[in-house]
Amino acid sequence: MTPNIAIVQVTNREWRWHGFKLWIPLFLLWIPAILLSPVILLVIFGLCIAGRLDPFRAMQIFWDVLCSLPGTHVHVRADQNTVLVRIL
Amino acid sequence: MNENRRQILEMLAAGKLTADEAERLIAALEPESTPSAGEFDGMVGRLRGASVKTKAKYLRVLVEADGEMTGLKGPTTVNVRVPMQLLRAGVRLAALIPQQAHGQLDEALSKHGVPITLSQIKPENLEELIEHLEDLTVDVEGKGGNTTKVRVFCE
Repeated sequence: MTPNIAIVQVTNREWRWHGFKLWIPLFLLWIPAILLSPVILLVIFGLCIAGRLDPFRAMQIFWDVLCSLPGTHVHVRADQNTVLVRIL
Repeated sequence: MNENRRQILEMLAAGKLTADEAERLIAALEPESTPSAGEFDGMVGRLRGASVKTKAKYLRVLVEADGEMTGLKGPTTVNVRVPMQLLRAGVRLAALIPQQAHGQLDEALSKHGVPITLSQIKPENLEELIEHLEDLTVDVEGKGGNTTKVRVFCE
């Protein structure tokens, strides 16, 4: 399953507004991706041929990476700053 | 008494199965869904395997470092959870790196204290690598005034 939502939270106690939390709806990226798919495919094929790679294999690997992203969680707190990235 | 039913009861008595697992197995032995001997053995194996070891889904890295270590004001904590599936895909991604670049990459990695030969990571070794990673737990604790803690484990 491809990632649907990314949560990005940045907080800093010294800031007046103490930070922000963004819910990024990644599933909406499918709309431009589908519309631009012919161009994207041409660019991918061009790059793969230039790099002497099998374009189908490269696309399959990138698709696997994309589909395995959900569940990723990175939380770093340092010097009163907190950064949280979650992919759902 | 049916031979399969007797086997379940014996395993329950021996503590090899829980009451819940035994109930599920006995329910599966009902006339409308009587499994063959092979299917029955498979079900027992799955249930026992599930109770012994569940497959790890994530690699966790936890780091706690005090301010003296990092030079920052307060303590620093890092909490990373990476899906095992992403590791699998990542290793496959390494296969896209051109052969000519492997030497330079290996040299750069070893220079930074990561002595890994990329050409040796092949898809056939991948599953074995991930399997062993599931049993990995690394605990590092600083000595003296250094209170840095690093934990790497699978869950």
